[in-house]
Amino acid sequence: MNIHNLTREAVLKSLVTSERGLSESEASKRLHEYGANEIKEVRKKSLYQKLFAQFTHFLAILLWIAAALCFLSEYLHPGEGLLSLGIAIIGVILINAVFTFVQEYRAEKAIEALKKLLPFNVKVLREGKAKEVRSEKVVPGDLILLSEGDKVPADARLIESNRLMVNNAPLTGESDAKPGSHDASTGDYLESPNIVFAGTLVVSGIGMAVAFATGMSTEFGKIAHLTGGVQERLSPLQKEIIRVTKIVAVIAITTGIFFFALGFFIGRGFWHNFLFAVGIIIANVPEGLLPTVTLSLAMGSQRMAKKKALIKTLTSVETLGSVTVICTDKTGTLTQNKMEVQKIWTIRSDQRSAVSGQQSDIHLMKIASLCNNATYTDGKYKGDPTEVAILKAAREARGDIKAERIFEIPFDSERKRMSTVCKIPLYPPFSKGELSGIPLFGKEGEGEILQEKFFVLTKGALEMVLPLCDKIFEGDNLISLNDENKKTLMRAYHSMMDEGLRVIAFAYKSVGAIHESPLQSDIAELESNLIFTGLMGLEDPPRPEVPEAIKKCKEAGIKVIMITGDAGRTAVSIAKQIGLVKGNPVVIEGREMHGMSDDNLREKLSSEEILFARMTPEHKMRIVSILEDEGERVAVTGDGVNDAPALKKANIGIAMGITGTDVAREAADMVLLDDNFASIVNAIEEGRGIFENIRKFISYIFASNIPEAVPYIAYIIFNIPLPLTIMQILAVDLGTDMFPALALGTEKPSPGVMKQPPRSPDERLLNFRVLRRAYLFLGPIEALAGLFGFFYVLNSGGWQWGTILPSYNVLYMQATTACLAGIIVSQIGNVFACRSSIESVFSLGFFSNRLVVLGIVAEIILSAFIIYHPWGNKIFGTAKLELNVWFILIPFGIGLLMAEEVRKFYVRRVDNDGIR
Amino acid sequence: MYKKILAAVNEFSNSEVAARYALTVAKSSLAKLFLVFVAEEGIEKDKLRHAESALERLFIEAEENGIEAECIIEGGEPVKKIHGFVEEHGIDIVFAATRREDVKKRFFVKTLSRQLMVGLPCSVAMVRVVRMGGIHPGNILVPLRGRMTNPDEREYFIAKLAESSGAKVTLFYLHEPITHFFHGERHLKPVQRDKHIPHDMERFSDYLHKHKIPFEKKTGYGGIARGITLEAAFKRNDLIVMGASEKSLLNTIVKGNPVEDVLRHTPCNMIIFRTRKS
Repeated sequence: MNIHNLTREAVLKSLVTSERGLSESEASKRLHEYGANEIKEVRKKSLYQKLFAQFTHFLAILLWIAAALCFLSEYLHPGEGLLSLGIAIIGVILINAVFTFVQEYRAEKAIEALKKLLPFNVKVLREGKAKEVRSEKVVPGDLILLSEGDKVPADARLIESNRLMVNNAPLTGESDAKPGSHDASTGDYLESPNIVFAGTLVVSGIGMAVAFATGMSTEFGKIAHLTGGVQERLSPLQKEIIRVTKIVAVIAITTGIFFFALGFFIGRGFWHNFLFAVGIIIANVPEGLLPTVTLSLAMGSQRMAKKKALIKTLTSVETLGSVTVICTDKTGTLTQNKMEVQKIWTIRSDQRSAVSGQQSDIHLMKIASLCNNATYTDGKYKGDPTEVAILKAAREARGDIKAERIFEIPFDSERKRMSTVCKIPLYPPFSKGELSGIPLFGKEGEGEILQEKFFVLTKGALEMVLPLCDKIFEGDNLISLNDENKKTLMRAYHSMMDEGLRVIAFAYKSVGAIHESPLQSDIAELESNLIFTGLMGLEDPPRPEVPEAIKKCKEAGIKVIMITGDAGRTAVSIAKQIGLVKGNPVVIEGREMHGMSDDNLREKLSSEEILFARMTPEHKMRIVSILEDEGERVAVTGDGVNDAPALKKANIGIAMGITGTDVAREAADMVLLDDNFASIVNAIEEGRGIFENIRKFISYIFASNIPEAVPYIAYIIFNIPLPLTIMQILAVDLGTDMFPALALGTEKPSPGVMKQPPRSPDERLLNFRVLRRAYLFLGPIEALAGLFGFFYVLNSGGWQWGTILPSYNVLYMQATTACLAGIIVSQIGNVFACRSSIESVFSLGFFSNRLVVLGIVAEIILSAFIIYHPWGNKIFGTAKLELNVWFILIPFGIGLLMAEEVRKFYVRRVDNDGIR
Repeated sequence: MYKKILAAVNEFSNSEVAARYALTVAKSSLAKLFLVFVAEEGIEKDKLRHAESALERLFIEAEENGIEAECIIEGGEPVKKIHGFVEEHGIDIVFAATRREDVKKRFFVKTLSRQLMVGLPCSVAMVRVVRMGGIHPGNILVPLRGRMTNPDEREYFIAKLAESSGAKVTLFYLHEPITHFFHGERHLKPVQRDKHIPHDMERFSDYLHKHKIPFEKKTGYGGIARGITLEAAFKRNDLIVMGASEKSLLNTIVKGNPVEDVLRHTPCNMIIFRTRKS
């Protein structure tokens, strides 16, 4: 026995309350025991914790350590510029942390949006008196008084009701209101008419209900639990960045220790070796990586916004690119959400698009017009798209039909039908009894009104309407509904569904005079012995761009799963029209899924073509969970409040910008501004490109680590002046490298990016091939350029091997500047080389990415400042270079590019799986 | 197994709900139910009246269900009195409600709940009531750990609770994340997780199968407390039954306590069960 099964007395007894309500002291005691009736964020991290986390992730820790080593070195060996480097590194950490924190803070508002759906004040009965209290003061056992326009504050069991209608849209997503009843009921408690749920709205009538669950233990609270409680996982990119950082840390520390030990064996002093090791470690830390990745993602999100995909969390930009499955709604996303009546059917006639003059057709259109909540005013139709389409067809066939609606038995997902009782004027000739015994409406607007009759008009899903009928209109005749005409009817029904039409059945009967809403118990009587009139087939045409988008997904190895509230046959037909399925897909309907074990569902989900029909938003979360469990990276679309948990759970939650609720939009990672499936696919393409681009600039940034480290090694081994100072390393990492690296982040996705399968979870951002190319191929060429420039200037100035030059010596400063210039020049060649790991820059075109050209221009301007401006000279310890030095260095940049072209040629022609 | 069950009742409505769970187990175990209220010295009349009414309602309910019941009202310090009563009558299990203020306290230090859990010489079912309406659980979530103490009694307790309510049991095993230095957290698919399912889960399911209690087995992956509360919210469980934490206070401070965490965030009613021998 559960609360909805109990009688009124048992409800009051089990909740330890009475018909007079709780006493104030008991209410206060219960408030203390059960807590305030409010939605809370589960395991919420405070703002301080969130901000703190930005300073304590792995890369930040590595940078903190680098900064600390700088300060230590400055303390031990002042004047090397390490203090400035340490401050610069801290600046990088600070800027990045604040930027990311602001992004996250803006993104996380789902629970706030949920809270807004609960009322502020409610009426309760306490000590026999009605009083208004704040919603959070409602406790289990409180008697809540409900009337039209009230929001329900807690999950409660109705004990009194009078024509009560409640809209459960926040919980079920259904826009139609549902009648409430205080009688004990059986069946599923969530579907029970005697339960009202927190967050829902009383549309009409009055009632009294006893609260049995408040706050986070309500069904609404469970949505908050599921939305707020989902563990924030690291995105694939975040995981990769951490991994890259760990690799870098291991390389830097190992190299540092190795050369510390080497220096020790050579016979250098401890502090000398220590400072050297610190220098090596700092040279290996990619200080510019974090800001470059962040800015690149921010620019990616801007590009996606132009493609109607608004990204809320930056890392989602790349996560989209790794998606393997898209679970998508049908209506409005794959289709246009513009319903049109395509076919009508009555038993004597075959399916057709035009209305005949037969009585069955006339009746069909009248029911369509009067059992309908859509409206036509000022030349515009308003209402649910299906109802609008039906009204439009009826109006076009029969014009406006006058009748007085007495009441409505509304549509709900369980009944799948609606009925209205209308008082309809009757005109001659049929009402005179020429066809005696047939309760016809008669023709409208012809002659005087003979009388007014009451009719029950019903429309809904065939499986819910047909069992209520015992007669059928055959042309102008009324005959009994038998097996034969049922078979004919079912054939027509299936044929319409196979065409992808949503099929609505229509029926009616005449009744005696009724002047008010019936009791719940009388509804069954009213909706019985109906006359089956006909069917209408409605079509929601697919969006024109969707078939191409589906094709792209298939080529890109992304599985698309349609989740729809429509019937299975309709879903299959639409899926075939858009190219989603070709053969006979596995179709799982809501009720079937309800009784299916996770293992069984998992097995079904592994089918190549699968569709989910007759689904409710609740099913989505289960599908997403199982797919993620299987290691898939899932994107899911949603618009309702109860879609929020699935949106939060998925790797990428995609909310609809036009039809979506605030809660869905807040819970999502991405908002689709045009609700269009094709925009998701465009965003995925962009996301895939971003992963490629990040890898490109990682190759670019990492290549410059070698020419930054080699001078140090040469300095210790060959006893030469240090060819590149720490500040000059900083000038490259946080200065000249930044603009070209950012430009690489804007490269267009390569043409074949959507023809490859999704990136494997095991595919690394920084793999051995990328490291090999950066550290063993590009890096050594750059190191050669830098050292060549360094020794060229020293030799030109008459330097003798073994001579130690002080740091303020002009020749030494010019030599280190030449080393820096050598690195910059070769990095200019490298930026073109890194635009693709395989394609020749000659085929890509030197100017096809204008931002790369702009990045190089910015790099040159910054280099000119560092080398030729007195401030640049002072900050970075540089000196002006003669023009001939540049002429010596430029061939290295060109040489690097040519060497890369040879390598790429080799990769393309000889070994496609080789060095990349 | 249970012949004598004690339900501690006081002036708070949640103790009455907790006692109904005792009533449920008493019914299926054919045990005698002792409904006990210990009035502290100087208790207000109003509180006494509330507690007496609760005892009366519970007694009637027990009689209606054919349960042999006895109401006892005594004065004194609750923990000591209940302890004495357990020893005197040879009580097998005590049901008591945790209070919200207990849950708010870190590590439950100096709470009545902790004193009962630690001090009583019998089994203890500590009930946290967050949802008054969920009287008869339809779906009980039973998270299992790698190693269970006193599995016989646990199986019996769950079976009797489910039998009387006609509930379905979900045996839930949550695998903690596996992490590697370079690769980070490793995702385990259900097939891989199944290899780690503790032997006790099989044993438990055999028992439930033997006693014709409908059940399902489920594995999850991730943080324990969060995983349990999310599962309960998602599957709309009416009741979570967890074994009491056997961690020391120091261990709890250092490593945290999932039971305590679930208790704080549970979306449905919850029983923390401590067996006699553990």
